[in-house]
Amino acid sequence: MLGFQDIWIFTGFILTFVSAIFCVIYGIINWHKGSMEKDGD
Amino acid sequence: MFYLITFTLVYLVITVYLSYLGYRRTTTVSDYMLAGRQVHPVTMGLSYGATHISTSAIIGFGGVSALYGFSLSWLTVLNIMIGIWIAFVVFGKRTRKMGKALDAHTFPELLGRRYESRFVQGFSGLVVLIFMPVYTAAVLIGISRFIEVYLNVPFSTAYLAFLLITACYVIWGGLKGVLYTSVFQGIIMVVVMAAVGIYTYHAAGGIVNAHEALTKLTPLIPQYLKEAGHRGFTSMPAAASPVWWYVITTMIMGVGIGVIGQPQLNIRFMTLKSDREINRSIPFAAIFVLLTTGIAFAVGALTNVIFYNNYTELPITAVQGNIDKIIPLYIDRFYPRWFVALFLVTLMSAAMSANSSQFHTLGTSLSRDIFEQALLRGKSVAEITIVTRVGIVFSIFSTLFIGLILPESIIAVATAFFFSLCGATFIPAYLFGLYWRNGTKAAAKASILCGFFVSLFWMLFFHEQESQAFGMCRFFFRSDTLAGHPWNMIDPQIIALPISFIVFIVVSLVTRPVREETVKNAFRHV
Repeated sequence: MLGFQDIWIFTGFILTFVSAIFCVIYGIINWHKGSMEKDGD
Repeated sequence: MFYLITFTLVYLVITVYLSYLGYRRTTTVSDYMLAGRQVHPVTMGLSYGATHISTSAIIGFGGVSALYGFSLSWLTVLNIMIGIWIAFVVFGKRTRKMGKALDAHTFPELLGRRYESRFVQGFSGLVVLIFMPVYTAAVLIGISRFIEVYLNVPFSTAYLAFLLITACYVIWGGLKGVLYTSVFQGIIMVVVMAAVGIYTYHAAGGIVNAHEALTKLTPLIPQYLKEAGHRGFTSMPAAASPVWWYVITTMIMGVGIGVIGQPQLNIRFMTLKSDREINRSIPFAAIFVLLTTGIAFAVGALTNVIFYNNYTELPITAVQGNIDKIIPLYIDRFYPRWFVALFLVTLMSAAMSANSSQFHTLGTSLSRDIFEQALLRGKSVAEITIVTRVGIVFSIFSTLFIGLILPESIIAVATAFFFSLCGATFIPAYLFGLYWRNGTKAAAKASILCGFFVSLFWMLFFHEQESQAFGMCRFFFRSDTLAGHPWNMIDPQIIALPISFIVFIVVSLVTRPVREETVKNAFRHV
């Protein structure tokens, strides 16, 4: 478990990177969405 | 000293130039308050991150993680998922659209116009004006503690000097100046924190070896912490123990959830032109938070390994219990002099980017929310930016006073206090205002007042950390708290936020809704 003593710490450590990667993927997928013209804004 | 003077001068020249550029490009009230609603996504991502992550995260929470270990990695998870993704996607997009539709220039103004209530705007502005200086002071204490360790000058001198430097450049630029400088400051923070992270893991023997070495230090944890539930630097505290309640409810959830109610962050969404800019700024903000808080909390925990390997003692012993000095002492002892000077510039960046937004928000709270709406009953005045600057000067003095009377080991505590108070006070009215057309003016008032006063009551009479400091509970009841474990350890937000939510829903169901044309106008872009 990457040298951690506790499954909760290991999970938190991994989730830190997972959540950042999730945000990056979300940004890339929605890169062209939401412009004023496209969403009728 | 040569490095310090050189780096500081270069940094200050660039910062002052960018602030001046912002000042030159500020021609309207909308420019001053919302940067003309035309901000680039990279600027938004970095400046949002740099405002959210201050010296409080690096010095204050870095010190907390030196004491409680890797359990704070969960705060990084919340900072990214709630502080960035939910804040941008769930709250940010509608905040931008509704802010534009209602022509709101501040967070209290958004709430006030959504519910057609000057009271909501004025009271929200007052909460910000009175309590935000506690957080502002925490940010300044962060860099002052570093200057105290590095230059060996008294804390009060460092605090006063840095407050004056910040004040000089914040007053003039408006939000454009704040945004330009915070991008520059954000870049410095990412680069230097990445270097600190790499060096620390390298010095501790690599990722897995560092964590294993930290695990082996469990027997050295002070006895009083073990008795309170501390089970090691790479283990969560014992479930439902005093340390567990403190780390989970105050340090992780207090800040992790409370970030949604931060006025100086919410206003940033109103500076964007379209939802596309919000989508594009999410990756930059998330990576920024990962590389600043993620590294700060990991490095904080690993200082135990470095200190033990070199001095056979834990850093908490070396700083005589003042956890706010752990990161400053670690950088001062184990890094080359030129890097220490560079780290000081990084802390200047972290403090200034957060402080400038805080002072800007404090100024507009006085001018726009209290002076113009509550006192002049909505009449616009030409001198609004002058009143804003008066508000900034007032808040600088209150920050000065608060910072000099706060005790040691206070940075993370003061930050969690303000985040928690804002969370309980603003989140229900904010969320329902964006998503529920039937939320009423009476419900918004009741929810905001309830969240605020339940939080305050819990702090004064139950949550031992504050009730002991204020002394009111002891004065009336001859005891530091009115309840024993676990109630004396549960953060006020955990109690006040659900109550505030319930009050909003119940009152909305039994009172008159906001006028239909106001609701229609608020939701016209949604």
